[in-house]
Amino acid sequence: MSAAPVVSISDDAELARAARHGNRAAFGRLYERYSRMVHGILLARVPHGEVDDLVHDVFLSAMRQLSSLRDDGAFGGWLAMIARNRAHDYHRRARDYIELPENLPASDRHSPDALAALEAICALPAAYRETLMLRLVEGMTGDEIALRTGLTAASVRVNLHRGMKQLRQKLNCEAGS
Amino acid sequence: MRNDYLWDGSGEPDPEVQRLEQLLREFRSERPAPRLQPRVPRSAIAAGFVLAAAGAWLLSGGAPESWQVAHAGARPSRLVVGQTLETGAGGHATMNVGDVGMIDVEANSRLRLERARKNEQRISLEHGLIHAFIWAQPRTFVVDTPSAVATDLGCYYTLEVGRDGSGLVSVLAGWVSFAHDGRESFIPAGAACRTRPGHGPGTPYREQASPAFRQALQEFDFGRGGDTALAIVLAEATKDDAFTLWHLLARCEPSQESRVYDALAALVPPPEGVTREGILRGDRRMRDRWWDRLGLGGAGWWRRLEGKWPADAK
Repeated sequence: MSAAPVVSISDDAELARAARHGNRAAFGRLYERYSRMVHGILLARVPHGEVDDLVHDVFLSAMRQLSSLRDDGAFGGWLAMIARNRAHDYHRRARDYIELPENLPASDRHSPDALAALEAICALPAAYRETLMLRLVEGMTGDEIALRTGLTAASVRVNLHRGMKQLRQKLNCEAGS
Repeated sequence: MRNDYLWDGSGEPDPEVQRLEQLLREFRSERPAPRLQPRVPRSAIAAGFVLAAAGAWLLSGGAPESWQVAHAGARPSRLVVGQTLETGAGGHATMNVGDVGMIDVEANSRLRLERARKNEQRISLEHGLIHAFIWAQPRTFVVDTPSAVATDLGCYYTLEVGRDGSGLVSVLAGWVSFAHDGRESFIPAGAACRTRPGHGPGTPYREQASPAFRQALQEFDFGRGGDTALAIVLAEATKDDAFTLWHLLARCEPSQESRVYDALAALVPPPEGVTREGILRGDRRMRDRWWDRLGLGGAGWWRRLEGKWPADAK
């Protein structure tokens, strides 16, 4: 597992402030730092094939709304909320769309075991699956998850351990059936 | 916390967690930097979208001077220089501006791709509404409208053009220049600027400015507001509106300049060495220095980019 980058909230607050004033490089840095978090949050909520497009949408929304961010130091939590809202919006809109067959030409390139593991996490309660996605898929440490999402370290720890416990039970159950 | 593999990968490895990490790694985000590709929903209802000119072809073909286009319910296509894109009622399209940005095109819009080169990406927006998100060097992305030319100096803005040729640009991040026939407005984030056929760009204003301020400014720019409208603008202005007054210095009648100077000086005192006489005689250097005092970033980079100033419009 790669070491978490050394960052601080104050760094991100500076970047958010600069991005709000049109600094492209600052926005690019925020994208680099937060794209894994946004990706993981979306992966916990929408079909994995849709995630990359929605990551794009989330950052565009963030850019549009950056002027409404009251506390630059809360950028991560604010962005996480946009990602969760975007996932919610995806499901709301999906009801109005015509569903196409699952087996379109761009067939899934992922292994059955990987898909099964992903599906098992997605069946967990929202708080657990989001935290586990950030840890197991995106490779973030507990500290980094807390720093990025604005959750307390204690909450992240609880989510990780309880979520992992439920995930083990689910996987063992499936293996036994 | 140390020695907790689930927490941070330290301590004795947990075989189950390791197995899951290995399995799930293939879903990981590996995007290194913003490369915002056009979005192509896999399941969507086709919207009213027309490539008015013939010759649009699928992505596999490619073209040297073209933009990739994504629109609901269809496969990606390309818009080639000289072609026109038209979205119907309920239509919507997203386009890559080369590799330097993207624009969303709202319903009932009509635009033409004029240039698609590395150092110049240019469209003409006949009517409609676009949201432009650009990370190229300033002045790379340009939009011609019937009454002004919008040049990107920053990140993100919305541009609306009516069927009568009037326009409105609203800037959410960065800067936009709105210019016509030697008259240029610089619009910062949080501000907007109107344009009218025959007049060119009006004076930029803060979107949160008072309704009376905005109405009077519109009357001053495009109506017959004259002294009455100017008096309302000056009375309603706050410190945040100083950039509007700074633009007015170069646009008002000579008989009005003193009043504008006094109002601006009351909001943001001119720096040392900037005199009333110098400003009123149109001394560029002094106006530059006063601009720098407004807290919107230094004026020097504008000169380096093009050397044009609102003051030149006089």
